[in-house]
Amino acid sequence: MKEQRIKNQIRRLRFEANEMTQVELAEKANVTRQTIIALEAQKYSPSLELAFRIAKVFDVPLEEAFQYN
Amino acid sequence: MQFLNNYSNRELNIWAELALDILVSVYFVFRIYPLIINDQFYSEALVHIILSTVIIAIIYSIIIFGTINTLTKREEKDERDYIYELKSYRISNNIFQISIYLLIGIIIFNTLYQEYFGEFTPPKIAMILLIIALLSSTGKSLTRLFNYRKNI
Repeated sequence: MKEQRIKNQIRRLRFEANEMTQVELAEKANVTRQTIIALEAQKYSPSLELAFRIAKVFDVPLEEAFQYN
Repeated sequence: MQFLNNYSNRELNIWAELALDILVSVYFVFRIYPLIINDQFYSEALVHIILSTVIIAIIYSIIIFGTINTLTKREEKDERDYIYELKSYRISNNIFQISIYLLIGIIIFNTLYQEYFGEFTPPKIAMILLIIALLSSTGKSLTRLFNYRKNI
């Protein structure tokens, strides 16, 4: 399977955000819980817009939530 | 109920679509096959089979899709759903196009070489087109399921 080159820190950020659940994050980022699961498993690269939305939910800069390898 | 918890509403709907495709294919082939074998393949019989297939599909859809959407929470589509939908439509379209070109080729070949595959009557062509539509739909459902499952 092709390895995703965009890595993310969503799991860590959720933990630091008072252990936010996947469902809560999904609702705030306006996506399904399955998309959050796929993102955390590093198996899906989000669109630029979704990446910005997720970073905004955690109130962190984009490059702290997502890194390009 | 454990099965329902392991899959999202969308995945359950795709499984149901796939089951419907298989059910319709099996029913259709089992009804058509004796007619072809006994050489009773005429339009009236085919229309009767197509009508009963459509009725079965409608009853199945009402019961199964109704149950799934009652027991599980419906979700709005997000970007990932749209991407997988596009991928599945591409596969489905490829299957459809290749099958149609093959059918055209077979019809031309048949005309040139003294009806090698038997006579291509309108009911027979209608049946082949229905099979192509079912194949294309099955390809679409399988692609979507594959994409959803590989990311879990």
